[in-house]
Amino acid sequence: ACVVKERKMASVSELYDVGWEEMRDKLRKWREDNCRNSEQIVDVGEELISEHGSKLGDDIWIIYEQVMIAALDCSRDDLALTCLQELRKQFPDSHRVKRLSGMRLEALERYDEANKHYDAILQDDPTNTAARKRKISILKAQGKSAEAIRELNEYLEQFVGDQEAWHELSELYINEHDYGKAAFCLEELMMTNPHNHLYCEQYAEVKYTQGGLENLELSRKYFAQALRLNNRNMRALFGLYMSASHIAASPKVGAKVKKDNMKYAAWAATQINRAYKLAGRGTKENKCSVKAVEEMLESMQITMS
Amino acid sequence: MFLLYMNLLEGVASAVYSRKKAYCKMLLHAAKYPHCAVNGLLVAEKVKEKKKDSHSAPILCVDCVPLFHGTLALAPMLEVALTLIDTWCKENRYVIAGYYQANERTKDFRPNQVAEKVAARISENFSEAAIVMVDNSRLTMSCFEPIVLIYDHHENKWKSRDVNTDCFEDWLEAQKITSALLEGRSYENLIDFDNHLDDLRNDWTNPVINKSVLDLC
Repeated sequence: ACVVKERKMASVSELYDVGWEEMRDKLRKWREDNCRNSEQIVDVGEELISEHGSKLGDDIWIIYEQVMIAALDCSRDDLALTCLQELRKQFPDSHRVKRLSGMRLEALERYDEANKHYDAILQDDPTNTAARKRKISILKAQGKSAEAIRELNEYLEQFVGDQEAWHELSELYINEHDYGKAAFCLEELMMTNPHNHLYCEQYAEVKYTQGGLENLELSRKYFAQALRLNNRNMRALFGLYMSASHIAASPKVGAKVKKDNMKYAAWAATQINRAYKLAGRGTKENKCSVKAVEEMLESMQITMS
Repeated sequence: MFLLYMNLLEGVASAVYSRKKAYCKMLLHAAKYPHCAVNGLLVAEKVKEKKKDSHSAPILCVDCVPLFHGTLALAPMLEVALTLIDTWCKENRYVIAGYYQANERTKDFRPNQVAEKVAARISENFSEAAIVMVDNSRLTMSCFEPIVLIYDHHENKWKSRDVNTDCFEDWLEAQKITSALLEGRSYENLIDFDNHLDDLRNDWTNPVINKSVLDLC
């Protein structure tokens, strides 16, 4: 859902007291971090281009691209078209620019035309991954999840190292409640990124959701692993607590497993309480969270024993 | 404020009123993450046990707690949120009364499996739990009309109820406030449970937004 705005605001540089170099550097940081803060990008980028375009040198082209995509996110077709036209003038035969034209058509929901653009790119260059991924995005936008999943699987057979694609596929599977296949995608990601705590934690969440004692134990192990990689990952901490608690409460486990998991859960509970106390220091509002967490942990202890 | 009429088939109209901040925060949540699905809980004031024959007293839906954005179909954090928010409710004499969701795709406003599962869970504690779906395609700055669909559970199915401005007592106020908050980009300050898990200092009761709503009344 995008909203159309009419703004009579002070300029970005006035509001935040920044010079054009800082604006340019902010845009670069957002590019590098792949942020989707489209409204901010439009605000900063539009002003930077119109007031300081001449100072940007060759950076201006990548900024046009970045602002164009953000403009599509904000329903600013006027701005998107301006950026696109500048890029077309500068790079008339570029596939990269053609892909941007396609994205604009997607934003306008002219999917058939967009697909023609991407097919034309692929005719010329069958290895163009960007065009293939856009076609899959169109399937997703049209709600054709099964087809999107099929195409993405085919894509990954060829481009097995594309992590963004593996992650997208895991999300598609999760939305279809196919947790087994989602887990497989995350396993691929964990193998190639063993130090990434987020993949570990997401894998644990998927296993937990799949359910059953074995999956619960696996999820507990991976929540613990995520914590080893990043001890401030609250989802991993909560997940460890929940999975250990459920295992301890299960009638199917023996006394030793029950005892061990109660220990893990108790440890996690202490850490959670500590984290909340640390966060709540000095603020009145957060006291309710601290109290709620303490009570929640206490009430779960009762169900476990 | 808006009224959710339920149980009409049983001839008993139990109205659920919503305070402006509940409606506002729902829309702000959807506006903050236009490219994601979002969901959250609706919270009502707890009333005493109703007698079987008497006319149900209106249920006051006082607040909403934005939960997640992006992937909604995973269990562990949802369980944490439900338990935590339930504890918070008990302290404030509230009860979780409903669930809202805005789907990822603009034109898709049907409740899916996630919505039905969460609502079923809520129904265990609150039999008249409703699903409120946000119609993304009608989300605009001006909010001229209410853009939610309300689903009640009848005969094992979720059926949608008619929602129009007649169901709203103080619709003009709610519309004015929501529109002002959207224009002022207040959604940038909206905190959901995901934001809270990223940084525990982020307060999912949204005191800042609540104050903005009060200031605009």
